[in-house]
Amino acid sequence: MAVSVVMPALEMAQETGKLLAWLKKEGDSVKKGEPLVEIETDKVTVEVEAPADGILAALKAWEGAEIPVGQTIAWIVAPGEQPPAESPSAAPAARAMTEQSVRPASVASAAGVAGPAEPSARVSPKAKRVAKELGVDLSRVRGTGPDGTITSEDVEAAAKSQAPAEAAEPAALSSVARLMAQRTTESWTTTPHFFLVREIDATPLLVAREHHGAGMNVKLTHTDLLVALVARVVAKHPKLNASWTGHAIHFHSDVNISLAAAVKDGVVGVVIPQANTATLADIAGQRSELSERARAGRLRPPDVTGGTFTISNLGMYQVDAFSAIITPPQAAVLAVGAITDRIVAVRGQPAVRPMMTLTLSSDHRVVDGAQAAVFLKDLADALGEPGKWLV
Amino acid sequence: MPANNGRELTLAQAVREALAEEMRRDSRVFILGEDIAEAGHPFKVLTGLVEEFGAERVLDTPISEAGFTGVAVGAAMTGLRPVVDIMFGDFVTLIMDQMVNQAAKVHYMSGGKWRVPMVLRTTLGATRRSAAQHSQSLHAWFCHIPGLKVVLPSTPYDAKGLLKTAIRDENPVAFFEDKMMYRLKGPVPEEEYTIPLGAADIKREGTDITIVATSSMVQVALGAAKLLEEAAISAEVIDPRTLWPLDEKTLINSARKTSRVIVMDEGYGRYGVAAEIASVISEGAFFDLEAPVKRLGAMHVPIPFSPPLEDATVPTEQSVFEAARAMCG
Repeated sequence: MAVSVVMPALEMAQETGKLLAWLKKEGDSVKKGEPLVEIETDKVTVEVEAPADGILAALKAWEGAEIPVGQTIAWIVAPGEQPPAESPSAAPAARAMTEQSVRPASVASAAGVAGPAEPSARVSPKAKRVAKELGVDLSRVRGTGPDGTITSEDVEAAAKSQAPAEAAEPAALSSVARLMAQRTTESWTTTPHFFLVREIDATPLLVAREHHGAGMNVKLTHTDLLVALVARVVAKHPKLNASWTGHAIHFHSDVNISLAAAVKDGVVGVVIPQANTATLADIAGQRSELSERARAGRLRPPDVTGGTFTISNLGMYQVDAFSAIITPPQAAVLAVGAITDRIVAVRGQPAVRPMMTLTLSSDHRVVDGAQAAVFLKDLADALGEPGKWLV
Repeated sequence: MPANNGRELTLAQAVREALAEEMRRDSRVFILGEDIAEAGHPFKVLTGLVEEFGAERVLDTPISEAGFTGVAVGAAMTGLRPVVDIMFGDFVTLIMDQMVNQAAKVHYMSGGKWRVPMVLRTTLGATRRSAAQHSQSLHAWFCHIPGLKVVLPSTPYDAKGLLKTAIRDENPVAFFEDKMMYRLKGPVPEEEYTIPLGAADIKREGTDITIVATSSMVQVALGAAKLLEEAAISAEVIDPRTLWPLDEKTLINSARKTSRVIVMDEGYGRYGVAAEIASVISEGAFFDLEAPVKRLGAMHVPIPFSPPLEDATVPTEQSVFEAARAMCG
C-alpha cells in the first residue's frame, strides 16, 4: 500500500515549505521514522521522517523548490509497486491533519504582497530554464499564459521587478526573514491593533524567582515566571486565547504560550504547550531546551506550532517598553520591558522599586479595551502575589 | 530565388515545365501512368507532353498501378529514369510492394550495384468532393520507409525546382502534389534552377509562434498568420518542403526563436507527419518551449463526401488562428 509523503504544515498560517535536500534517493529503501527530506519552512529547518517502511518513489519536487503545504512530494511504495496517480483530495486532508484546529478559516493576504503561485500553476520548460538562469523563485511568479501557465516572459518580468530590491540587498532573503516580512505586514495591515500599557512593581517577581529557583536543575528566569503566570491568567480570559476567523471568534481549549526568540535572520515563536498547567520546572526546562535549539537552528515542527498567546521580552536588551505586532492568528501579544529601579510613590512617599512595563497588543475584532484591561489588571494582581498562582 | 521577370505559372504548369525540361535534358527520362498522353492527365498537368516527346516517352498504361510501377522499378534498375504517375494518392495502396519492398530496398540489397532513380508523382488533399477513396493524404506511409525520399511542394516555384532535383536523384523519390493547388499561381523564373532536397523554406518570418506546414497546409498557415497579425501575434511559417530528408535544424532554430509551435499536415493527425515533426522539435528545443507542440492534421475519419462534413475534417485558417491564439495566452 503506497503512502504519500506530503509537505507538512508546521506553522499555523504557513502556505508553502522549501525543500532543502533529499536525504534519500529515489529507489532507496527507507524505514518508518528515518529522516527522508530536509525542509525549511516558516521559521525552522526540519527533517521530515518517512511515514512508513518501503521504497522511496516518484519524487515530485526538486531541491530548492517552494511546495504548497499538503502537496505530495513523494511516495513510499512496496517493492515492485507503482506509485498511485495523484488524488486531488490528499492535499486538504493532509493540511487538516497537521494543523489541528488552530487555523482560522482564512487569512487574508496583505495587499501588495505577492502570495505564492497557485499550487496547480504550470511552468513552461523555457520558463523553468530561464528561472534557473536568472535565479527567480518560481513560487513568487504569477503565470499569465494559458490556464495560468508561467511563461518565460513572466519569469523575466519577475526578475526585472526584483532587480531594485536586489541592488539594495544583494543577498537573497532567507525564508525566516521573508516570512517575517510577509507575516508582520499581513498582521499590521489587516489586524486592528490596540495597546494597553501598565507598570508593574516587580519586587514579588524577584522574590518568587529566588524562592522557586532554589534547587532547580535549570536556571529559573523572569520569563519562565511570566510564562507560568500569564498562562494561568489567560486561562481565565478566553478572549485573550482566541482567533479571529474572518467572521467569528474561535476560542482555543489549550493555552499554548509562544515565546518570541531571536534567531539568525529574524524571530520565531517557540511554544510551551499547556503552560497554564505546567509546573515552573517544566516551563524552565522546556524554555531552556527551546532556546538552545533555536540558537542552533534545529527547531522541530512541534517547537513552533500551535501557540495561542505570545510573550515577547526585550528586557535583557534594556528596552523599557515597546509595542509588539500580533502574530496571526493569535489575538494578543504581551511585550515585556526591562526590570529597572525607578522612583515611584509608595503610600504617598517616593520609593525606589524594581519596575517593569507591560504592553498588551490586542486584536480589536476579538477583544475590546475593557476586556483587555481586566486581563491586564488580573495579570498585575498575579504578578503581585505569584505564590498564590504557582502552588 | 533567381530573378523573375514577373512571369507567373500555375503549379500544374510548373510541374509540366519541370518534366519537359528534364525530358529535353536527359533522354532516359520518361513518364508512365493512366490517362497521361492524349488526355494529358485528369488535372491537365501533362497537356502537350505527348505531342513533344511521343507515345514512347509519355506512356499510357492500363489501369494496373502495381504492374506499371513494377515496370518503372525495373526500368530504373536497368538504366532509365522513369516518372510514374499515380492519378490519386489513394491508389498508392496498390503499389506499396513495388515501392517499399523493391524500390526502397534494391540499392541496399544489391550492395550498391543497382540503383532505382525513379520518381513517383501522385496527389494528396481533400475538399475536392471526391469522397473517401480519392481524398486521402497518405504521404506519411512513404516517410516511414528507409530508402525512400518524400517531397511535398507548396508553391509553383518549389514544385518545379524540387521535381527537377527529384528526377536527377539516384534514389526513389515520392513526390506529392496537392490536387487543390494545381491552379495556384506563383512566380517561376524562365531560367534554369533546382532546389536541393532537405532544405526547408521560411515562407513568412515571425517572432511569436512557428507554424510548420506542409503542402496544402502552407497556404492555410499563411492565411492564419495574416489573421494572427491582426491579433498582434507574429507567426513564422515554415515549409519543410521535403519530409525525408528533413531539415531539422531550420525547424528547431525557429522553435527556439519563437518558443511556441504548431505543426500542420493534411495527413491523418494520428501517427502522422505532424507527430514526427513535433517530436523532432520537442527533442531539439524542449527547454526553449513555452507550451507543448500542437499538431493539426486531418480528422481520424474516412474523408466524408458531404461537403460540410468534408470541410470539417481538415485544418482551416480559423482553426489554426484559434489554436495559435490559445497557445500564446
